[in-house]
Amino acid sequence: MRALPLERTPQPGVLRARGIALIRSREATVVAFIVVLGMFLEAVTGRFLAPTNLANVLLNSAGTATVALGMTLVILTGGIDVSVGSMLGVAAVAVGYASAAGWGLGPLVLVGLTVGGLLGLVNGALIGFGGVMPVIATLGTLNILRALTFQLLRAKWISDLPPTLRDLGLGLALGVPISAWVALAMTLVFVYLTTRRPLGRHIYAIGGNIEAARLAGIDLTRALLFVYTATGMLVGITALMYVGQTGIVQSNTGSGFELQVIAAVVLGGTSIMGGRGTVVGSVLGALLVAEIKNGLILLNISGLAEGMVSGVLILLAVGADLLRLRGKRP
Amino acid sequence: MNSFLRFIATDRPRFLILVLALAFVVFALTTAEFATLYNVFNMTQYGVEIGLLALGETLVIISGGGSIDLSVGSMLSLSGVFMGLLTMRVGINVWLAALLGILSGGLLGAINALFVTRIGIPALIVTLGTLYAYASAALVLTNTVPISGLPEHLFVLGQSKVLGVPFQVLMIFIPVALVLHVALRRTIFGRNLHAVGTNEVAARFAAINVGAVRFWVFTLAGLLAGLAAVVMTSRVASARPDAGVGYELQAITIAVLGGTSILGGEGTVLGTILGVLVITVLSNGLQLASINPIWQLGAVGIVLVVTVLLNQWLARRGLRLA
Amino acid sequence: MDVLIAARQVSKSFGGVRALHQADFELRAGEVHAVVGQNGAGKSTLIRILSGALLADAGQTFYEERPVHLASPKVAQNMGIATVYQDPLVYPDLNAVENIFMGRELRDRVGNIDWRAQQERAVQLFAELGIAPTFLFEPVGRLSIGLQQLVLIAKALSYASRVIILDEPTAILTQGETERLFQVIRRLRGAQLGVIYISHRLEEIFTIADRVTVMKDGEVRGTFEVQAISRDDLIDLMAGQVARAEMQAGRRIEEVILAVDGLTVPPRVREVTFDLRRGEVLGMFGLVGSGRTDIAHALFGITRPVRGTMTLDGRPLTFHDPWQALEQGIAYLPEDRKAQGLFLRLPVRFDLSVAILRWLRGFLGIVNAAQEERNGRDLVAALEIRTPNLETLTNALSGGNQQKVLLGRWLARRPKILILDEPTRGVDVAAKEEIHERIFQLAASGVAVIVISSELPEIMKVSDRILIMHEGQVAAILNRAAATSEALLRAATGERHEYARAPA
Repeated sequence: MRALPLERTPQPGVLRARGIALIRSREATVVAFIVVLGMFLEAVTGRFLAPTNLANVLLNSAGTATVALGMTLVILTGGIDVSVGSMLGVAAVAVGYASAAGWGLGPLVLVGLTVGGLLGLVNGALIGFGGVMPVIATLGTLNILRALTFQLLRAKWISDLPPTLRDLGLGLALGVPISAWVALAMTLVFVYLTTRRPLGRHIYAIGGNIEAARLAGIDLTRALLFVYTATGMLVGITALMYVGQTGIVQSNTGSGFELQVIAAVVLGGTSIMGGRGTVVGSVLGALLVAEIKNGLILLNISGLAEGMVSGVLILLAVGADLLRLRGKRP
Repeated sequence: MNSFLRFIATDRPRFLILVLALAFVVFALTTAEFATLYNVFNMTQYGVEIGLLALGETLVIISGGGSIDLSVGSMLSLSGVFMGLLTMRVGINVWLAALLGILSGGLLGAINALFVTRIGIPALIVTLGTLYAYASAALVLTNTVPISGLPEHLFVLGQSKVLGVPFQVLMIFIPVALVLHVALRRTIFGRNLHAVGTNEVAARFAAINVGAVRFWVFTLAGLLAGLAAVVMTSRVASARPDAGVGYELQAITIAVLGGTSILGGEGTVLGTILGVLVITVLSNGLQLASINPIWQLGAVGIVLVVTVLLNQWLARRGLRLA
Repeated sequence: MDVLIAARQVSKSFGGVRALHQADFELRAGEVHAVVGQNGAGKSTLIRILSGALLADAGQTFYEERPVHLASPKVAQNMGIATVYQDPLVYPDLNAVENIFMGRELRDRVGNIDWRAQQERAVQLFAELGIAPTFLFEPVGRLSIGLQQLVLIAKALSYASRVIILDEPTAILTQGETERLFQVIRRLRGAQLGVIYISHRLEEIFTIADRVTVMKDGEVRGTFEVQAISRDDLIDLMAGQVARAEMQAGRRIEEVILAVDGLTVPPRVREVTFDLRRGEVLGMFGLVGSGRTDIAHALFGITRPVRGTMTLDGRPLTFHDPWQALEQGIAYLPEDRKAQGLFLRLPVRFDLSVAILRWLRGFLGIVNAAQEERNGRDLVAALEIRTPNLETLTNALSGGNQQKVLLGRWLARRPKILILDEPTRGVDVAAKEEIHERIFQLAASGVAVIVISSELPEIMKVSDRILIMHEGQVAAILNRAAATSEALLRAATGERHEYARAPA
């Protein structure tokens, strides 16, 4: 059948390349920022490219990147989770107690995943079943869990832990922190989920056009439960990294963590409105966030300024995305 | 059960008075110093600050379209810091500094407003960003050290009495609440606000300037935060950079508890005031029972989640909020 | 000749207003069956019932000769009935392949999505439509509406649909895209599918359809072989014989108050020129998408024209928002009173006073309650609005009374020009009469009224002149005398007439 003169005949190879290039465009921008910022920091301080410094950046980005994977899914559905910081606190307490009691690595991992998963499930239930707005539900759990963290610690803190988690937290493999390897592994899992599994694509559909998604028979509640629970489990893994890294669990552990994660996801190109974004972008965003934090330290700018920097970056990134979109789709 | 639900739905104020009375009784019975005049006095002092924030939050949420302000606590911190710095480092007269502090709150709110109305970023994200940005700015400006040594004549605002009632209650909160009540119920601005929150499209077609309405509510929330900062600074005799931490949770909870619909279009000053009373009693009771302050926020978190779940449940049964 | 889908004696009413009455319809395999009729004739109600979006009050639907209960769009879709709406229901950020297979992904043995198989199948589906899909990997939101439609048709094929319903598909397509769509439809027909084609573009119907069903006032006037009927016959059936309404006793029409010249409003309205006089009622007639509401929006400051001028009393008008339009004396009653007009959860008093709050202001911006009361009561009396009291919530009123409230709101403002967009849609007969009366009174008092309506009897009754829009341009301006229903429909469906100037 002769093709109508309005289109040319497609060639699969060319099309795939075009398709991939399209996706790459936002991620490429983030990589560019990372590189440019790195060059700037090296030029000004001369200490950025030192191997120990780079390892530090990777180390600091690992936890953010891990949770950002889940947060990406959450934001893709049009929701948000501001309670990840408090979830980290509770999960760290659980892991800390278990570790202090002498549990091995395997059981500790189970503790992290279970506690994190349960906390995430609570959020998912409130939002998926209870119909509560994500920001409200997670604002509530943010505060409830922070109080819970304090309560579980009984006004003390956990320290002097056995070295079970230290390798995970601080160890290196091939010159790269082990927690970064873990984050990489999780990234691969989530890339697989979001590109090969139906559930992963359904999440995009929900954020893209909820009416069409319902019509297509997609189970909204199941998807919502999944994204929040997955986020919780990822927080559990990060708790292991955190406890391994610092060896201490206090009542303010994890406080403010949610800002880093949300900043990472937003900078990585995920749209706040839902339906658009990639987990790879968020991981790159996490690297950028860690790099910025590192930059503040190298430049001797007070660590207190982190909130300002992250907050302003979020606003600029979302604003730029919105204005760009307005140009494309009238 | 159904008639009870209907009662909650249709007569929110009376329901809240019931809850308030219940909470009061419970705490009076279980905690020694609760039901004393001295304590009630203290409670109302504390309640003024959170009350002003909650009123601002109420206005923002009424404007609808997903409007919410997560930065009210940080605005309080930062404008308090501005006031403290102006007085102690720049040497301005403390009353002038207080006025500038209030105005700076308005400026912070206006920044929120501009991002929401001009650039079109959802209020949720804007105020999430400014929540952290303003809080961080307060910490940086003070290097985490509270500003103290303020002139004593400032303390009349937050620590003195008029006719046996705390100054800020009688001379600040009640007048402000009255003005806002009248504004919301009786003025053109209040009408426009209800219209925008009820049906934004219809408001536009009715020739109402939707952008201007939203701009003003966010700015007003900032002004109220600034005012609350001045009162708090006067009461605790210092400007703490972390003064407002957790206040956004309380403000939102109070607004929602008081009957403000998260979807917009509905909310009253009376409901919010009752909400303030309930939350203040709760927080104070917990404090006196020697429960760690962190549980005050935890308890408020529980109240928020339960309230919203309740509202959802009511909505599903077709019962409107009143 | 098997019948794919049929509706027998189907009826549907909305709150006392009859939208569909004992309609019979059937679609055969290998047929393109067009449905025509004016706005409000019942086309969309019938289609919504067939696509499962609406449940009929009475009558029965059949699929492949079996009685079926089309309980929801999902049920209909799974059964094999696919509907493509004017506003395509797509995932804008996902590509065509995903849009087609979302929710029913092709999987491999491990349960992963088999992208290759989906891509091949998608190419196959498009091949069945005769389309070479070079756009397969682009986000569908960036494709033209024409391509989005094709994606949805391909999707329909993937559901093994046998019935494809196209709702005004060519309203926003270019000529080339329309041609392409027709080629696709011909292939569908060749594959023994059935296509229901709703359109008001009579030329297209004669090009693509096999049979045509004409609807009017909720009833099926008849089903005909397209070859056996003429365009004029169709128009006759759509319009019917409408008795000319009585001319009202001597209404004075005065000087020109509004002059519109070359008005161009994207996306459709082009080079619209007309004038409006004090005391005149100018009717605006046209079919769906003809641009009447777009003109009204430009006049009221909701959208800004890219070219053209509007002059009020000799002064050029430029506004940026409705508030300025109102200040100049132009008021607009929107088409969808529930979504765009009324504040349903607020009291009637509120809706009545919202446009004149500035005149009711007292000290410090406080609204004078007594004056507001009086305003409310006066309007309720003048328009005979039936409401228990002023505090009743607007959503408790009937459609007709709601419309009167909306009308009252603008009347309180004493505009010089009042634009009414479908003022009696969904309104009972008595209220309709009252609203028409009110329009006459307004005109008699010197107000210039523009009435946008899709109802022939109404527009012929109230208008002194009628401006007919077609595809965003003025097709004709007819004097009352020349405005027969045939003339109106001819102009609205594309036949050109000379302009009729307003009487000197």
